[in-house]
Amino acid sequence: MKNQNINTNPDYKYGFTTEIENIRAPKGLNENSIKFISRMKKEPKWMLDWRLKAFERLKKLKEPNWQKPKYPKIDYQDLYYYSAPKSASKKPKSLDEVDPKLLETYKKLGIPLQEQKKLSGVAVDAVFDSVSVATTYKEELTKKGIIFCSISEAIQKHPDLVKKYIGSVIPLTDHYFATLNSAVFTDGSFVYIPQGVRCPMELSTYFRINASETGQFERTLIIADKGSYVSYLEGCTAPMRDENQLHAANVELVALDDAEIKYSTVQNWYPGDKDGNGGIYNFVTKRGACRGRNSKISWTQVETGSAITWKYPSCILQGDNSVGEFYSIAITNNHQKADTGTKMIHLGKNTKSKIISKGISAGQADNTYRGLVDIGSKALNSRNYTQCDSLLMGNKCGAHTVPYIKNKNSSSTVEHEATTSKINEEQLYYCNQRGLNQEEAVSLIVNGFCKEVLQQLPMEFAVEAQKLVGISLEGSVG
Amino acid sequence: MENFKINIKEIDKINSINKDDKNYRIKNLEFFNKKGFPTKKEEDWKFSDLREIFSKNFKKIDINYINPEENKFRLIKDFDHNYILLINGRLIRSDFKYEDKNKIKISNYKEDNFLKEKSNNPIICLNHALSNEGYNLVIEKNYKFEKVLVIYNLFSEELSDKILNNKNRIVVSENSELHTIEYTINRSKNKFFNNSYENVILSENAKFKNICIQAARSDGYFHKFLNGSIKSNASYSSFIFSSGLKFNKQDIKIDLEGKNSECDIKSALFLNNDDHQEVKTLVNHLVPNCKSFQKIKSVLDSNAKGVYQGKIFVKDIAQKTNAYQLSKALLISGNSEFDSKPELEIYADDVKCSHGSTSGNVDENSIHYLMTRGLTKKEAMQLLINGFLKEIVNDIKSETIKKFVESKLEFQIYGY
Repeated sequence: MKNQNINTNPDYKYGFTTEIENIRAPKGLNENSIKFISRMKKEPKWMLDWRLKAFERLKKLKEPNWQKPKYPKIDYQDLYYYSAPKSASKKPKSLDEVDPKLLETYKKLGIPLQEQKKLSGVAVDAVFDSVSVATTYKEELTKKGIIFCSISEAIQKHPDLVKKYIGSVIPLTDHYFATLNSAVFTDGSFVYIPQGVRCPMELSTYFRINASETGQFERTLIIADKGSYVSYLEGCTAPMRDENQLHAANVELVALDDAEIKYSTVQNWYPGDKDGNGGIYNFVTKRGACRGRNSKISWTQVETGSAITWKYPSCILQGDNSVGEFYSIAITNNHQKADTGTKMIHLGKNTKSKIISKGISAGQADNTYRGLVDIGSKALNSRNYTQCDSLLMGNKCGAHTVPYIKNKNSSSTVEHEATTSKINEEQLYYCNQRGLNQEEAVSLIVNGFCKEVLQQLPMEFAVEAQKLVGISLEGSVG
Repeated sequence: MENFKINIKEIDKINSINKDDKNYRIKNLEFFNKKGFPTKKEEDWKFSDLREIFSKNFKKIDINYINPEENKFRLIKDFDHNYILLINGRLIRSDFKYEDKNKIKISNYKEDNFLKEKSNNPIICLNHALSNEGYNLVIEKNYKFEKVLVIYNLFSEELSDKILNNKNRIVVSENSELHTIEYTINRSKNKFFNNSYENVILSENAKFKNICIQAARSDGYFHKFLNGSIKSNASYSSFIFSSGLKFNKQDIKIDLEGKNSECDIKSALFLNNDDHQEVKTLVNHLVPNCKSFQKIKSVLDSNAKGVYQGKIFVKDIAQKTNAYQLSKALLISGNSEFDSKPELEIYADDVKCSHGSTSGNVDENSIHYLMTRGLTKKEAMQLLINGFLKEIVNDIKSETIKKFVESKLEFQIYGY
């Protein structure tokens, strides 16, 4: 199939599609398409059985409907569950063998897959639609014993690790979209950091949805063994599309004793046009388990894209003294809707969690923070601090806060505060007076509002994210 | 309690209802029978699974009404007051000796006084279906009460394994002012469930203050839904000191319908011995320039569970809204629990809305400080708890009433 609808919308910088022939699974959600995916991925039997088990479970589950943003019913039988660039069926041995059109796409996205890759110091596992095409910096990582590859490769090469950890944080039976992912996931990243190793660079994956009508079902699994550290970046841009595209990824993190995982996301998928047509449905399940003592998981997210964002990166604090953090910026403009937040489940003693959430709504958008802090009866001396602030621009948008707070023992302390307001007129006036136009002033003030979260991002992302914050709000004032 | 159903024929036992009323009652009862007692699967009951609570504590329960014999009871001597006496929800008598009687109308429950609302809450539907008792109090225009009105809510000894349903209405007309104290006296040593519905209507410039308090600990299970509508420049204020009940859920819905209207909800609770109490509020800011303020303080001892579910809704036209929610809880025993869900749903941009929620134990340093000054640990705890809860009591303006409430509250705390 050839894609002809090249983007002409100047508002969306990253909206372009490349013409690449695809191999596709038969349309529809059934056992055959699952078997097809498994066959294409050359998976062992246990993996296929696992997928089919998830599919059995899926038949019994109902799509959740408690979320704030409502969306038209998704016809799961009208989607393709597998599509791979044709040239990937023969794995490229070097960059020269990679489809030149693909390379061109990456260039437009600014992925340093060519020579400049070494200078930028980023190892990239680029996912073009569903198959990871090339992974860089492998040798350097291999030297340290770090495994960083696509999940399909990991299933073949490191089945014991995958078998042990996949589904251990997000079980097969979790909820509709997570189970759907377990049945039909196509690709994603796998990271294993061995005991005592500090990953020398930021690991990064660039996701890109390309073929039309293909929902992407990524599966990411990161395991930080005892005393290790890893920082992982996930960034997304997607080309212009008219129909809605479903993205239901699962991300599982496991931190063992004294390990630390930092997971950062900048999400800038196609949000639909000014009238709310099109755009991506971003229904992602992200969950981390602090299994070991003194382990730490930190989520940072900048959500500016997607028509609907619906996700709650969570931490299960099982190990004593473990720490969970969640830093989030969610910006919605025009008709975008976001329902995002986190769950901090305290099970171990002396566990700590911190939640900083900044929501910005403009246009006719709706932005909801929904979060759970649950301190179990055995999680003695635990502590949580939550702060969620919302900023409203214009009187057609909405900002909502729905925190659930449970404290089941007397030695733990929970604090929660939230505010909702608009941009201070005086601040705007002051900026205008100093020669900034309205949009520059808003961008500056909003960046200040988000500073606490932006500071958590690694350098490479922080610059991009700051620009995104400004771009996302263009046209929302005046 | 799993398949608890009430026979539709029970509705026939209610006197003098017309066809419309009957249909309305049947519809509501059918809804209740379909849903049963709500479980934690329902969002509004997430933290208080009523079906589980009932299954644990009631072997049987029915709705046959017990005709109360008028008991002797002692009036509060601490301050002069008017009163209304209710026994098992039925209006028995009233006395407005300090007031101009032409300005006050009090009557028994009448179906016509209430709009036929639709509800998704099975417990409210149960009330709509079966309520047949209660009072209707109307304060005419331009009248300010001289003395406070005490509503003695007495439950008789014979009550056991019963559900009581009653509906009350309070109307305060333009420029009028009313203060009430809802004083619950429970003589029954057995378990029962009182399910009441209250409609509060405040006209322009009206003021209404209510304090709700128990005489002593009791085994009662209570649910109260309050539906308030507040017109411009009117103000509603409620104090909840309902400590000492096995189960209590106050479900308060206030519509701020007129400009510059205000709503104030404050609560100080001391819960122990398996007590389970929930304060649920929904404040709807529907017009500009309204204010709402909520402060919920709870102290939780052995096995007690406290819940606060508060929601502020701000409509898109309700600019210049000022809304605040605060819930604070002290968990002083290892197996106590506090759950909260302070929710904001905001569609207007020029607003000031915020909330805070904290829970934790008494500050160790403060206890240490007091102990270095010669207090025992228990005394130090009592002092700190007292200070924590008294902040709410101090907002009561009348000195005599404040003292009365303080003494009741202290009795709770020093029993600890």
